[in-house]
Amino acid sequence: MTIVAASRVSPRRGGTGVRWLIGRLGGLLFVLWAAATLTFFALRLIPGDPAEALLGGPGSQASDEALAAAREEYGLNQPLWMQYLAQMGRYLLLDFGTSYSLREPVSSVIAEQFPGTLLLASLALALAWVLAITVAVWSARSGRIAGALGSALEVVAVALPHFWLATSLVLLFSTTLGWLPPISGRSPSGLVLPVITLAIPLAGFLGQVMRESLLNALSSPFAQSARTRGETATGVIWRHGLRHAALPAIGLSGWAFGTLVSGAVVVETVFARPGLGRTLLSAVQARDIPLVTGTVLVVALAYSLVTTLTDVLDRIADPRLRTEANA
Amino acid sequence: MKRPSVVETAPVVVLAFFVVSAVAPNLIAPGDPLAIDPLASFQAPSAGHPLGTDESGRDILTRIVHGAAPSLLIGVLATAIGVGLGLVLGIVGGLGPRWLDTTSTRFVEVLFAFPGLLLALLFIAIAGPGPVTSTIAVGLATAPGYARLVRSQVLSVRRSGYVEAALVLGHGWWRRLLRHILPNVTATLFVLVTLGVGQSIVWASSLSYLGLGVSPPAAEWGAMLNSGRTYVASFWWMTFFPGLAIVLSAAATTLLGRSLQSRVRSS
Amino acid sequence: MAIRPSSPSRTATSRTKTSRTAATRAGLAISGLTLTALILSGCAPAADNGGSSDPVAGGTLTYATGDAEPTCLDPHVGGNYPQALVATQYLESLVSLDASGAVIPWLATEWSEAEDGLSWDFTLRDNVTFTDGEPLNAAAVQANVAHVQDPATGSSTGYLALGKVTGVEAVSDTVVRFTLSAPDSALLESLSQPWVAMQSPAALERAKEVNCESPVGTGPFVVTEWDRQNSITLERNDDYTSPPADAADGDGPYLDSIVWRFVPDSATRYAALASGEVDVIDNAQPDALVAADDDDSLEELDAPRPGASNRLELNSGIAPFNDVAVREAFIRAANVNDGITSLFFGTAERSYSALSSVEPLGVSDPDLFDFDLEKSNELLDAAGWTERDADGYRVKDGERLTVTFPVSTNQSIPAEQSLFEQIQATTKEAGFDVVLEPGDLSTWYATLAANEYNVVSAPYTKVGPDVLRILYHSDGITPAPSGYFANLAQVNLPELDTLLTEASEVSDAEQRSQLYADAQQIVLDGFYILPLYDQQNHYLYNTAVEGLRAMPTVSTPTLAEAWLDR
Repeated sequence: MTIVAASRVSPRRGGTGVRWLIGRLGGLLFVLWAAATLTFFALRLIPGDPAEALLGGPGSQASDEALAAAREEYGLNQPLWMQYLAQMGRYLLLDFGTSYSLREPVSSVIAEQFPGTLLLASLALALAWVLAITVAVWSARSGRIAGALGSALEVVAVALPHFWLATSLVLLFSTTLGWLPPISGRSPSGLVLPVITLAIPLAGFLGQVMRESLLNALSSPFAQSARTRGETATGVIWRHGLRHAALPAIGLSGWAFGTLVSGAVVVETVFARPGLGRTLLSAVQARDIPLVTGTVLVVALAYSLVTTLTDVLDRIADPRLRTEANA
Repeated sequence: MKRPSVVETAPVVVLAFFVVSAVAPNLIAPGDPLAIDPLASFQAPSAGHPLGTDESGRDILTRIVHGAAPSLLIGVLATAIGVGLGLVLGIVGGLGPRWLDTTSTRFVEVLFAFPGLLLALLFIAIAGPGPVTSTIAVGLATAPGYARLVRSQVLSVRRSGYVEAALVLGHGWWRRLLRHILPNVTATLFVLVTLGVGQSIVWASSLSYLGLGVSPPAAEWGAMLNSGRTYVASFWWMTFFPGLAIVLSAAATTLLGRSLQSRVRSS
Repeated sequence: MAIRPSSPSRTATSRTKTSRTAATRAGLAISGLTLTALILSGCAPAADNGGSSDPVAGGTLTYATGDAEPTCLDPHVGGNYPQALVATQYLESLVSLDASGAVIPWLATEWSEAEDGLSWDFTLRDNVTFTDGEPLNAAAVQANVAHVQDPATGSSTGYLALGKVTGVEAVSDTVVRFTLSAPDSALLESLSQPWVAMQSPAALERAKEVNCESPVGTGPFVVTEWDRQNSITLERNDDYTSPPADAADGDGPYLDSIVWRFVPDSATRYAALASGEVDVIDNAQPDALVAADDDDSLEELDAPRPGASNRLELNSGIAPFNDVAVREAFIRAANVNDGITSLFFGTAERSYSALSSVEPLGVSDPDLFDFDLEKSNELLDAAGWTERDADGYRVKDGERLTVTFPVSTNQSIPAEQSLFEQIQATTKEAGFDVVLEPGDLSTWYATLAANEYNVVSAPYTKVGPDVLRILYHSDGITPAPSGYFANLAQVNLPELDTLLTEASEVSDAEQRSQLYADAQQIVLDGFYILPLYDQQNHYLYNTAVEGLRAMPTVSTPTLAEAWLDR
């Protein structure tokens, strides 16, 4: 319904929308360029020779000839700015290069690993929202004790480190109960524990943020007037409270996506699940510059898309933002 | 003023305990947190060791008490770095002229584009592991989140009726910031900060899991949690108590933040 | 001189739980040589071929590895242990070793060394083909050596192993001659390693990326799929004809296929084994081994890696360990026995040798490593470290007695890291300020290359005592172009160099043994190292798995004779 309302804006406003979108696109390209540049130089600051990543990892007893051949092959013997320009040039042609450590085109590594992580992160985000809303609504309705219990749950959830939660879930559901496989692989049943592991702390965080604004919204004059008009408590929560409460939490979705990718590094390691998080960790450890940069670019792109989406949602949920753009 | 309730007193008591632990650990647990006793390793909680011993026979109670200072310091400093950066970027973005907003938003987005852990990984890879670097790394990793939230709050408050009214009344920028925007932003930020302390400790422990955090023998809650994790199936007390310390301190700061907030609001 | 290998003998490194406990109880004072004998005699082969039923063909075995995922499945490229683990299933070498360490035939049936030691002739097995149909002949061996020695391949381990080989020629279709720059008593041991295993010459000519994904060998299994970060799928080589001389009789391989999964987290790996999701795991941690003891459905295979023991190297190149008294003081102040007992739950045996207990030529000297705080203090006082600062650390000329200890969190398991913490705590009593610096592999190597360490633990796996030359010959102090150097203790003694060079060239077994014994004694007496235990290499497997054994070469498990009883 709100989306329909948003599409019914005047032609003038539509024009602003397009301009806004073009601005976003420019911003997106900037973010991608800056991320690639930052990563490129940050990785060069790290001690360790990238040529070694090519020859069986750090500490390899690679011979002079082997190192020279590797440097030659990957252009590592050229000056830094040449390498940088060459890499940016290749990115313009959508060529992400070849991973040092995997000896595979970065694009195919990402194509292989990204869908799994995306699925994991999306499901976890969805579950986190469901959990957060459920607890927030339930405790907003059910009075002080429920409220205290709800926020206690959230506080505990937030304080659970992924690696520890994952191990405990494996201990409970795999070792003791035998319900779910401890290693995830690419199977659907293996997805359950990783998703829960990622969702619980995030739900705690979203819940905390939402509760605050939900309580604010519910004590606001318009909610009170809705109540005096005879709307039910649940109705007020859903129609007025949540819409307001969701705002800061929606604003956090881009951030949430980032933490999910971070969490994926740990969760994919614990559950032996293939994915971008694990790729990223091993790529950083192997000083695999093309792979780290490629992965960062993909995550940056995904993040930017999520933020753009949340901004659009923001504009829909809070009409004042739309008029502001015209002011 | 109404009398403080249990919900308000409990966090104060818990925090007081941890603060005393941090300032004068020897008052509570006079032992050496690093003293090993390999032959008394993996002992379950008992009269001699109320919270048991770890893999090197160190007393877990002593380590938790002595660990309060480094743990809370990591939590507080990392949060301070994160919130500080976030506040500056967020307010500049939310209140400043358009170009400044665009620049700071872009900057935050670039930082954001790096998953927090990657930012931390890269920073640690460059600067080397250790308590200081992991504190800064956690602060850096969390800053974009705070910045974005602050900006969105600032925008929301700025467009609210009373700020517009202040604008009509001709109040200056600083006055609007101090009188109207900051107090409203702080409401949300307060919850975030109180949450952030626990979060930062948890983040730092994840770095330890990946082998990049605080050096292991140091009595730090996250590091203790991580080293106990290997043995979680057999020796639960090694993870349970450090985990409890993290949860308790995080919960206490959050609840304290809440009750302070509602007192401020009602007065 | 012609070496006729002894008759094939069954290698059984599998030990039942009872025998492990027995070996543990046998005490700490046993020297390496007798310990080896004890372990070998304690290796009741009962678990594997004592079963009443005959091998059953078929089934898929799932193996979960905790080692890093190889970046290339061709072990010529780079050359590390994770590659060796999986390559054992599809590649084979010219020779192998039996349980006693004697060289036995594999793809080569016999061999002879020229009088001057500068060339070796190998006779190849008849009728062996690679799984792409190429024949194994002299030309194929030539192509393999050329591949390892080609800089473009980027071989490091294999390259070192063939360091003295200057040329390979085909004498006939089945006889191949290696020419050497100097006699090499370690040549056969070197050739037994998976890092110089034979691959199809046609396959080697493909692009490096392609060969990395699907190397072609003569082994019992064939690589069919590599799903990155998840698993490698291997299928049975139905035409397999070339087991090593010590293989069990039978018509294996029995398994239809192997799923080789990458499960980096040790707790998850054990949970997967216990729940029956996987059949075999490697890198089993001490607490898992104890838990498995109580689980009737699990068995253990303990196969310590060959080469060096796991030991701390004291950097004698820079202060404070350039003073032998300070080195001895540190070693005397480090109380490690209690820690090993409690942290490893009796699954690891204290070592007093530079070499692994599976190396027959290892020399142990427990007396040098007695914990003696008093002596440590006397030594430090005499060496001029007389003052102590407010924290209790010793000081000399305003400098604190600081010992920097970089720890690789990729290589050192949690129990080992805890042991290092205990060493830190016990040496503090004597006034040492040990600074542990945990870091990832790249950081760790960078610290070593910058010579910014005083103590380090760097395991080194190689078949045979020639590893001593790599680790303690002064040539090993000169960094490779990559900055890496193997002589991390920075031992620089001309008489030791002479001994090690001589030992690597002498062909008389007794003389060789004596030279290596003398060399080891010099290293031990000089307090350059603090041996801890063998490089731990524990496998756990489901009792349904029969016929699993570890190769006596680099202790990788082979599934060539394995079958599933379920």
